Amino acid sequence: MTPGDRELRGARAYLSRVAEPPAPALSELIDEVGPVRASRLVAAGRVPGQVAAETGARRADDRVEADLAAMGAFGGRLVIPEDAEWPAEEFTCFGTLAAQADKRWRAPVALWVRGGGRLDELGARAVAVVGARAATGYGEHVAAEFGYGLAEGGLTVVSGAAFGVDGAAHRGALAAEGRTFAVQACGLDVPYPAGHQGLLERIAVAGVVVSEYPPGIRPARHRFLVRNRLIAAFAAGTVVIEAGIRSGARSTASAAFALGRVVMAVPGPVTSALSVGCHLLIREEQAVLVTRVAEVLEAVGRIGADLAPALISPRHPTDGLSPELLAVYEALPARASRHPEQLVRDSGVPLNRVRSALPLLELQGLVGCGTGGWHRVLGDGGRGGA
Amino acid sequence: MALASAWAVALHGVDGVLVEIEAHIGPGLPGLQMVGLPDAALSEARDRVRAAVLNSGRRWPPRRMTLALSPATLPKVGSGYDLALACALLAADGRIPADRLRGLVLIGELALDGRLRPVRGVLPAVLAARRVGIDEVVVPTASLAEAALVNGVRVYGATRLTDVLRWLQDPAAGLARPDPLNPAPPPAVPDLADVLGQGDARWAVEVAAAGGHHLLLTGPPGTGKTMLAQRMVGLLPMLTDTEALEVTAVHSVAGLLTPDTPLITVPPFVAPHHTSSVASLVGGGSGLAKPGAVSRAHRGVLFLDEVAEFGPRSLEALRTPLEDGEVRLARRDGVVRYPARFQLVLAANPCPCAPPDERDCICAPSARRRYLGRLSGPLLDRVDVRVAMRPLKDMGQTDAEPESTAVVRERVLLARTAARARWAGTGWSTNAEVPGPVLRRRFGLPRVVTEPIEAALHRGLVTARGADRTLRLAWTLADLAGRDRPLVEDVSAAMGLRDRSAA
Repeated sequence: MTPGDRELRGARAYLSRVAEPPAPALSELIDEVGPVRASRLVAAGRVPGQVAAETGARRADDRVEADLAAMGAFGGRLVIPEDAEWPAEEFTCFGTLAAQADKRWRAPVALWVRGGGRLDELGARAVAVVGARAATGYGEHVAAEFGYGLAEGGLTVVSGAAFGVDGAAHRGALAAEGRTFAVQACGLDVPYPAGHQGLLERIAVAGVVVSEYPPGIRPARHRFLVRNRLIAAFAAGTVVIEAGIRSGARSTASAAFALGRVVMAVPGPVTSALSVGCHLLIREEQAVLVTRVAEVLEAVGRIGADLAPALISPRHPTDGLSPELLAVYEALPARASRHPEQLVRDSGVPLNRVRSALPLLELQGLVGCGTGGWHRVLGDGGRGGA
Repeated sequence: MALASAWAVALHGVDGVLVEIEAHIGPGLPGLQMVGLPDAALSEARDRVRAAVLNSGRRWPPRRMTLALSPATLPKVGSGYDLALACALLAADGRIPADRLRGLVLIGELALDGRLRPVRGVLPAVLAARRVGIDEVVVPTASLAEAALVNGVRVYGATRLTDVLRWLQDPAAGLARPDPLNPAPPPAVPDLADVLGQGDARWAVEVAAAGGHHLLLTGPPGTGKTMLAQRMVGLLPMLTDTEALEVTAVHSVAGLLTPDTPLITVPPFVAPHHTSSVASLVGGGSGLAKPGAVSRAHRGVLFLDEVAEFGPRSLEALRTPLEDGEVRLARRDGVVRYPARFQLVLAANPCPCAPPDERDCICAPSARRRYLGRLSGPLLDRVDVRVAMRPLKDMGQTDAEPESTAVVRERVLLARTAARARWAGTGWSTNAEVPGPVLRRRFGLPRVVTEPIEAALHRGLVTARGADRTLRLAWTLADLAGRDRPLVEDVSAAMGLRDRSAA
């Protein structure tokens, strides 16, 4: 590490602690004068009023050496915009006019990272899967399915490592031995939630755990909302699986929407309070309705190349039967038995063809042969075995 | 001349062995001695022959007489040697020309008054005579028609010993000659049109008849299982000349021939009761075994009604004849072989209580399982066609008049002809005889056709053996439909003829 590089890194580390993100004025200053000079100006207190308001409280708190040492101690590192690894491409979304118009959407000053993956590689094709912490069994099931399916499709699954949908999505991706990464809303030395410590370790092995907060920063409600913009920014699209009327997942969705990302929502029962947010997103046309992994891939994938295979229209058990088989099947009454001879009359199919049709229908589990003759198999819609 | 010989035939199963009967008259105390393993009936011949000779007005030589039956080691059974014994004795006494007895087989039992009585097994005896080059046979008149079935042998019928002796002394005296064979009209077989409804079962019987498949009919009592089984015979082709002789020979040995039907030309129908012993089913008896039901059903139908009531030993005993087409029975006096190539028709109730409607069954589940469970295994493995008969719900289930035997029989005969043409040169004549591997390899069908079997195999609905059975039936259905190979519809229809209770 060259002295210049160390200085640069030290400056970024200092700046990441000195203001509570997002700090639009500080970001502007850094863009204007560069991080090294910006850090000196902030430390000296010679900054314009806006920046001073953002940094005043912490400007004397210089813990750069301690922070870098602490990160190094548990295998973490600081990734700064000057690094090749910086997900510059993903973060271009913060530079759009729409994003610049809102002070909430600012790129991070630097990122604290744990794990072996490279940020730019992991971010290349990523999908965020977010949702309620108090998810229902349905939500967790869908999240795990999507996590598994997306990771299996070669995509990185981004989420927040919270309980419920987030955790299920990470686990699904890990089960597929795919790539996943978590964005934390606190210092990386504080695993949050504590119950997911083991999960975070596994994520760090399979991908990375990222935070814009330096070590020692505690999780807080406002930090989750800030963190959500990073989740949205990293991913090409955000899937919301179960969100209440007021929820963090909806904030991620609105961040993604504002940053020009694809927003997708998984519908649930209209009676479920936990799907209200999803339905609202769809109703307000902020989100695309998705029900399967292929549809997610189509939404975020390359145009034309990742089209979801058309869903086969809901199948009736008798679909695909030849007209003759169908005629024989339809000739059987719903709840009574018939002999082949009687079926000839009702179906108009000759006797020998009826005799060969019935075993075929039996093979498909549509009809059975009992003491009174042949009858339809009821109950499971004819999908069961013979 | 004090030495003479005559010829008779010893029966060994349905094979005859020529027996030379030598008579010697010499000095010594008057009496008659017989050597050469005679059984009780033959030992008693000395008294029958003496009385018959005396009552025919002939002299009984007052000297020491010895009769030897050769080959001496072959056990001889029955009373059919009487005529030959009497003639040999009288020739030795010089009363009839001994050279007339050369090249002549004499068969018949003597009554005390000199009449000739019919005996069993005349047909195989005459066949044996022809085989060794004998060209003249004398039989009791009652058996003349039976003996006349053999070509190339001059047969004569006699009613009394005197007639035979007079003819031997003077050929011009003449003996009865057989009437030209006028085939009696085959016995009336009950017609298929009598069976009401039961379309599936009628069809199964037709398929079984066409392919020579064994058949299992299950169903509650009163659904016509027995009726159908009896009508199956009417669907089978008439016996060929060779087959007719084979069948008649067995029936002759069993003593079942009547004078008005000397030659059996229609496939026999044999229905032993379920209490029948193993010996009566496959043949048996002391000394030399006699033919049983399986041999009497040779080239015909063996119908086992209430098959689940048969003892397991009886059913197991059927396995070898089913496999080999014959039975070999070893008894004290040797091993005999009877043909037994029959078509098996089994009928069974679904359970011991057998109510007209199966829902009214009061049997314990274990009893139900056990009942038909007796049938499972190797015996059932050989039964290709299985059909469940249903209780009749109304008197006319179909608008159409049921097909008569004549109509169905025509289809069956065409199918059989097609099958025979296909298997020509292989030694098989019906589809049922063809082993599974041959059907799968040498006569393999495209995958599209066998697809239903593959699917059923895949889902465990049929076993590999069941798949072979289905394949065999598919060929028969194709034959019935006049196709030269089965289509997928034949295969799927064949699947409908399988057993649903046991894969």
